[in-house]
Formats: sequence, C-alpha cells, structure tokens
Amino acid sequence: MATIAASAVRSCLGDGPATFAALLAGRGGAAPLRYVDPDLVNVGAAYEIDEETSHRRAGTWLAACVVEALRQADPRVPRGSVPVLAGTGLRELGAAEKWSAGAAGMTVEDLHFTGVLRETDDRLGPVVTVCNACSATGHLLALAQDLVDSGAAPAVVVAGADSLTVSMLAMIGRVAPDRTERIRPFDADRTGVLLGEGAAAAVVVPDGAAAAPLGRLLATGMSCDAAHETAPDAGGIARAMREALDRSGRKGEEVDLVLAHGTGTELNDRVEARVLREHLGENGPLVTAIKGATGHTSGASALMSLDVALRCLATGWVPPVAGLDRPAADCGGVRLVRSAPVRARPRLAQVDAFGFGGVNAVTLVGAA
Amino acid sequence: MRAVAIRAWSAHLPGQSGPLPGGWSPGPACPPERAADLLGRKGLLYKQPAERLGLCAVHRALGLAPVTGRWTPPEPDPRTAVVASSNLGSLETVCAVARTAGAGSLSDVSPLDAPNVSSNVLASTVAIRFGFGGPNLMVCSGHPAGLDAMRLAQLLLAAGRADRVVVVGAEPADETAAALAGADLRAGAACVVLEPAAEDSALVLHPVHDHADPESCEPARPVRFGQFYGAAGVLAVAAAAAANRTARVVAGSDADGWRCAVVETKGDR
Repeated sequence: MATIAASAVRSCLGDGPATFAALLAGRGGAAPLRYVDPDLVNVGAAYEIDEETSHRRAGTWLAACVVEALRQADPRVPRGSVPVLAGTGLRELGAAEKWSAGAAGMTVEDLHFTGVLRETDDRLGPVVTVCNACSATGHLLALAQDLVDSGAAPAVVVAGADSLTVSMLAMIGRVAPDRTERIRPFDADRTGVLLGEGAAAAVVVPDGAAAAPLGRLLATGMSCDAAHETAPDAGGIARAMREALDRSGRKGEEVDLVLAHGTGTELNDRVEARVLREHLGENGPLVTAIKGATGHTSGASALMSLDVALRCLATGWVPPVAGLDRPAADCGGVRLVRSAPVRARPRLAQVDAFGFGGVNAVTLVGAA
Repeated sequence: MRAVAIRAWSAHLPGQSGPLPGGWSPGPACPPERAADLLGRKGLLYKQPAERLGLCAVHRALGLAPVTGRWTPPEPDPRTAVVASSNLGSLETVCAVARTAGAGSLSDVSPLDAPNVSSNVLASTVAIRFGFGGPNLMVCSGHPAGLDAMRLAQLLLAAGRADRVVVVGAEPADETAAALAGADLRAGAACVVLEPAAEDSALVLHPVHDHADPESCEPARPVRFGQFYGAAGVLAVAAAAAANRTARVVAGSDADGWRCAVVETKGDR
C-alpha cells in the first residue's frame, strides 16, 4: 500500500481549498462559453478557467500543479528519480486545432506533456503521457501505486489536465437535443454533460515516507468494458469496483463515501447508481459528485475527485452533489448527499472514473 | 521489474517491400483503406487509418486468418490487457471536425466520429474487436511511446493485473500528421504480445530503461525505427523478436527522452 503525500488542484473554482469551499457552499463554475462561439458548436456553457495562457493551455496548469504538489511533498530523492504519469483525455489538441486553422508556434512535441515539465524540478524523471479519456488519472493511480509498491520508484507524480477542444464541443453539440446550462448529476432533470478545464497532481510515496500524509492509497481496480465505444457498461464498471475491493482486502460495506463519476448524462448516472447499489449495498455509503461544480475535467477529473475525497476524510465534512435538486427515479437506492454538507467522519472513500472506450478505474483511499 | 516473455509479434507496414533494417521482412500489408481484405467488412465504418492498421497488426500477431464471413467479437477476457501507443491517430479527424464546426457547418460533422475525437480510440477499438477486458491504456508520449507502452505492459504483468498484454503501436501518415510531425513520417503498425516469463521462455523482453543518450546502453547497434514515431518502439521489439537475435531496442528523441531495452533470445543464432 502507498501514501498520498501531496495533492494540488486547479479548477474553474480555484485551487484545492477553494474548490472544496465552493462545493461545501453549493457554488459551481458553469458560465457562458468564453473562448468558442456557442452557435458554432451548439454548446452554450462550460466550466472554463478564466485565464489567457500560452497555446499549451492544459500543460500550463498541469505544470503548475506538479510544481505545487512536489513542493508540498518535498520528497528527499535523487535527481531524475520521480517518474511523472500525466493523464489526459485530449492532450493539447485544442492547440492543434488552432494550428490547423493557421496559428503559428505549434510543434509535434506540444501535443504531450514532456516539454512543459522540463526544467521545473530536477527530481522529476521521465514523463509518460497517457490518454485514457475521462478516467485517465484513475488508471494512473493504479500504475503509480504498482511502481511504488514494487520499489521501482521512490515516489511517483500522477498528474492530469484538460482544456476544451472545439471538436469535442462540436460532438456534444451535434448530438444534444437541447443546450445544457449546468451539469446535474443524478437529477431527474439532468440534461447532459459540459466540459470543464483544469488540472491536478498528486505525489504517491511508500507508506511511512510522507512527512504529512494526506491519505492512504489502498488500491485501484481497472477494467475495460470491451463493449461499446462511448456508452458505459455495468459489467465492466462492476469488475473495476470489485477489483479495487479485492486488492485492498476490504468489503463493500466498509466504504463510507463514494465520489461518483456522475457526469449528469442519462446513461452514466443510471448505470453508475445501479452498480453502486449492487456492489456497495442498497442505501450503502454516502455518495457525492463534483462535476456539477467543476465541469467534466476529463483527464483531471479523477484526481480532482481524489483531492475532494481526501478533504472529506480530513475534515469529516462531505459536500452535497453539486447540481442535484431532485434525485431521479432511475438513480434510486443510493444515498446521495443533497442540498447541504453532511458531517459524516468517513474513513474509507471510493473514487469512480469511467471514460470513453469503456475504460474504468475505481480507487479506494483511506484516512491518513 | 523482471523480464517478460514475448509470445507473438507482427508488423503491418503498407509500402514496405523487402526487409527492414536488421533483416526481418514482415510481409505484405494492405493499406488502411483496404483493411477489410484482412479484417472483413464489419466494424470498419468510421475507423481511422491508425485504428485500421493497428487492428491488422493485432489480427496478424494473434495468428488469425483473413476474415471472410462475419466477425463476431469474443466475450471479454478480463485477464488480457491492451497497451496502445500512437500520437497522431486522431489528429486529422480532430482538426477536420474543428474546421467544419468553425466554418459554421456543424450539421456536416458526423456523430459517428465521436469516438475518434478522443485520443484513446486505438486502445478501446482493439479491446472491443478482440474482447480484451483487462486494463486498457493509451500512451501518447511522442517518440518513446512504443517503449513506454512496453514498460507499462511489464508493470501490469508484474503487478498481476493481467496474464497477457497486447501491446500495439500505430501511426498514420496523412497530410495533417505529416505536416505536424515531418515529411519522413511513415504509416504503419506493430504488435507484440507479452506474458509473464517462465523458466523455459525462449524469447524475453528485459525491463525498459530511460537513457539520456541512445548510444549509452549495451549491446551496441540498436534497432531503431524513428520514422514510425509512436509505433517505433513496438516495431523495434517485434523486429528484434523476429530476427531471433539478442538485440538492444531504442526509441525516443532528445526532446521526448530516450528509452531502451534488451530483447534476449535463449537460442541465439
């Protein structure tokens, strides 16, 4: 087992503490689309970070989070010994789209995140960019723990970032009957997903190696539905959930809190609620979700949920599902936190992350 | 990390006539637009060139005959993982969709391209077609991506997360990809199937290492296929395995970093 030594977040709501405070206060970051003409993509809103950056938009925030997390953890390790696993759904494809429309300055190396991390911290080793859609950083938590557990690395940085792409906005707008104003996970009136921008980073170290541990990384289960390119599948998600429990030696009834994937789409929320009900028990753990406040930050979203889970474990407070007013009938049997924070003192939290292509990662994290 | 067994390999390189550097001739390969010759017609609609090439490489590594009738994907096997490497597979579609939307023609964008604007479409396409239900990873780390994929595959096996890992690398060489990556970019795919090493494994892949300098690790004269970009590392391992000689494989660049590994054959010629 491994320990989370540090965690840094940059969302449309601010850094990790600011994001958690907004969630507790029931504030979200949905706003009219800033950088793309809404009529071109038939999408009216997003959870953008209101900041002009270089063309390496996701990379700018990713690097900032990596530097902040490393400063927090401050691992005493040799130069070049800390690998970086960088997760993303869309890399810097937003920059590539602008390049294709004539903008200068893009190189092929800018697509991935090696360049933005060069010369940020000499403890960093090789950077491997992994594009696992909306569950990228969930998968990378599994790999980071395996690297640390096997002694292959003294510490691993897991990082994730995404910014908006016109092509993904166009796909959402192309199939949506109506424009969604905000994400409303598990709500009877949910209308679909919106994209969010942001980044997050966590430092994973062996147990006992963190000066101020944030939590214990118990296990992550991974699976691929191998069923459908874009729709979730209950069987694949259940396998990831079961594997996380098996690897950590825990039982479903021990889970106190779930940070749901909760995208606010018809299908995801129904399937996720069903698997939670079947595997963690009818009206089992508290369930909350952050995307109604942060947007769907894709490759960063699992680490953002992890950061919130760690803050719940540390403070005992669980924020309500952002965007949820009236639970949907097809999402019944799960204990959704509604309207106000709950004081619950959870000890064991589960973070769900599911992505396009049927790629699932479920992480269990315990109090420090 | 320990060495792992190389159980099967292939390369699907349209336009490659004759042997590759190192001596291996991977055989004739249909171009992506004729992938149905090998894979049958079903399931190829809206599949991009990189996915078509990657599927062909996996099909060949698995030793499957050309599909003549209807292809039915097997039930998902949760103990087989996929680790794919590609950087440019989705680039042309992403840029074309953005340009179409930007020109005010959203209705001309096909919803069937939805999977293609997500960068992990190669890994999930392989999983869906062949029923690989284990961990599914898509590496997009530039030149070293193929050997990064090998390293993650070794990690999955060492951690007991799979009994078999299908590593597949594929790149297209369309106009958009070549404009960004360089004119010498070549389209192609390669596949290597890895399993935990046994006592009698005749062919093994030793752990992948980072190297500041591609000339710094032993043995000398590495096998390198840089023009295949994200597929290069997978192709290098496949070529070394096919040549049945102990060899060093290298993939990377000064900007992206270098990785190297040794393919060892117990029956070295």
